[in-house]
Amino acid sequence: MTTGRGLKFGEAGLGAAVLALGAFIAYETLKSPGAANVVVGPRLFPYLIAAGLVIVGASLLREAFAGRIAHQQGLELDFGAVVLVSAGLVVQLLLLEALGWIPASTILFMVVARAFGSRRLVIDALLGLALTAAAFGLFNYGLDLNLPIGGVFDSLVAEPD
Amino acid sequence: MEILIALSHGFAVALTPYNLMWATLGVTIGTAIGVLPGIGPALTVALLLPVTYSLEPTSAFIMFAGIYYGAMYGGSTTSILLNAPGESGSIVTAIDGHAMARQGRGAQALATAAIGSFIAGTLATVALTFVAPLMVKMALLFGPAEYFALMVLALTTVTAVLGSSLSRGLASLFFGLALGLVGIDLQTGQARLTFGIPELLDGIDTVVVAVGLFAIGETLFVASRHRYETEEIFALKGSKWMSREDWSRSWKPWLRGTLLGFPIGALPAGGSEIPTFLSYLVEKRLSKHPEEFGKGAIEAVAGPEAANNASAAGTLAPLLSLGLPTSATAAIMLAAFQQYGLQPGPTLFDTNPDLVWGMIASLYIGNFLLLLLNLPLVGIWVKLLVIPRPWLYAGILVFATLGAYTLNNNVIDLVVLWIIGVIGFGMRVLDVPVAPCVVGLILGPLAEQQFRRALAISQGDPMVFFTHPLSLALLVIAALLVIVPVVIRMTRGRREPEPVNSDLKT
Repeated sequence: MTTGRGLKFGEAGLGAAVLALGAFIAYETLKSPGAANVVVGPRLFPYLIAAGLVIVGASLLREAFAGRIAHQQGLELDFGAVVLVSAGLVVQLLLLEALGWIPASTILFMVVARAFGSRRLVIDALLGLALTAAAFGLFNYGLDLNLPIGGVFDSLVAEPD
Repeated sequence: MEILIALSHGFAVALTPYNLMWATLGVTIGTAIGVLPGIGPALTVALLLPVTYSLEPTSAFIMFAGIYYGAMYGGSTTSILLNAPGESGSIVTAIDGHAMARQGRGAQALATAAIGSFIAGTLATVALTFVAPLMVKMALLFGPAEYFALMVLALTTVTAVLGSSLSRGLASLFFGLALGLVGIDLQTGQARLTFGIPELLDGIDTVVVAVGLFAIGETLFVASRHRYETEEIFALKGSKWMSREDWSRSWKPWLRGTLLGFPIGALPAGGSEIPTFLSYLVEKRLSKHPEEFGKGAIEAVAGPEAANNASAAGTLAPLLSLGLPTSATAAIMLAAFQQYGLQPGPTLFDTNPDLVWGMIASLYIGNFLLLLLNLPLVGIWVKLLVIPRPWLYAGILVFATLGAYTLNNNVIDLVVLWIIGVIGFGMRVLDVPVAPCVVGLILGPLAEQQFRRALAISQGDPMVFFTHPLSLALLVIAALLVIVPVVIRMTRGRREPEPVNSDLKT
């Protein structure tokens, strides 16, 4: 649920985040060593970009307080679904190398489908399994890419080649 | 003459059965993926990158050319039947195209879009054939100072024309530039902003960022809005063919759209938003039925769609001849070139004529194949629109992560993908355009390189950018692009109207 007020908060947050990123890059660059014997060292561009970020961030903050908002009528947002989808992605990347592409991505498929309101868990699972297995077959055997089999299964299954 | 010989050589390369197969495959899956709601041409190209990894460069880029044009055709189908433009270039098409679909004239809207795209695409490819070599000749006169100024101009236009406010566009641009800093500095070998993570030494991949913003960010946004929005898909019914009146109202807008689209697309000022909006305005002014505009005027589909496709071909001119991307899609194509260790620019025409001319020739072939694919087979593509949303977006995320992982086979890319995706969601909610970020990420390091080269040649004298007339002119134009709209806005006072394109996705 987000109303106009929440969005205004987000707007100010955007300005602050841009500003902070600029300050952070300037600080990191300050810490890094410059280079001798070159006309323009590796630090000039980071400083320019940091300056740009700070100026744009400040101007966004000003706009946020001046009251120009992107969605005038407010915007309803279902944050539960957002958290579910992003959690699905985290689970997939954590399990990818241990369990392998097919199980990890099937879980992702099921979680995202659930976030979009699907309640047919078994069908989602079967469909996800079919899709990820097809991708695995196509990419590993047809296109010579290496999607992980999974550390757990490595000992059971022989190498693809 | 020279050009025709080169082009016929290109056709000889593209028409070998092997390459023809890749071109056909490219246009087919380009259309299929481009039709899916929520997937615009930029994401289509990014998602299909892994498919080309095992090919040698010439075949890979022949396939890419097909994917690119196919995604453009597919995108117009989605905007007409679903009112879900996948990128800013089809927003205008969606207005009247969707209105036509509501009136049961979806088939005619799709037909005028497809035939218009074919005519515009073919004419614009002819123009590309002759303009690209001219640009190469011009590029040979450019030194680092001019290249830098040109890149500044491209970055400015991508930022200034998109989105609802300049500061939002600039925030996106500088975020992209900041991401471009990550990695080893090419000239001194010093690591910048890598935080001791070895995987970051190579920099953040443009494809990961594009997929993060366009696929993950977009899916998160759709997930958050899913409960509050209903979609209507309009089935195709009645006659599938355009009537005599449809034809007579369409052919002039096709040609005018092409005339607007190609030059604007080919300028480093590029982009497809301006020509499509201009085409809409021109057709409305010239039409005998201006009152129908916005309610399903066929001219308002024919013109902008032709302009959109012509500018897509136009964008390839600065990309191939100068190495300058002017849209998110072009930025991803440039990343694809870099993946193969190729740098588009004047030298590419000398070192890889097979690749360049084979790719241009396959644009002609792809366009022709797409007309065949889209007119009789449009019913098949329409079926893709009804894939249940839970499965569609679950599938998009599976392939998005697949694309990001297979780039370097490491999980760090998935972590970066996740972070960029969450940021992309925030940008989408707050109406920050994402295209400047993608273009900034890939152009930033190139601009820095030219900047430092220019200063090395001038022995540190920064006046070099202002004493070279061409460089000065380009920088002045870039400055005007930022200043003039601000001045106009200030003189107009506060009764500024709500911008038409305030809900752009890209």
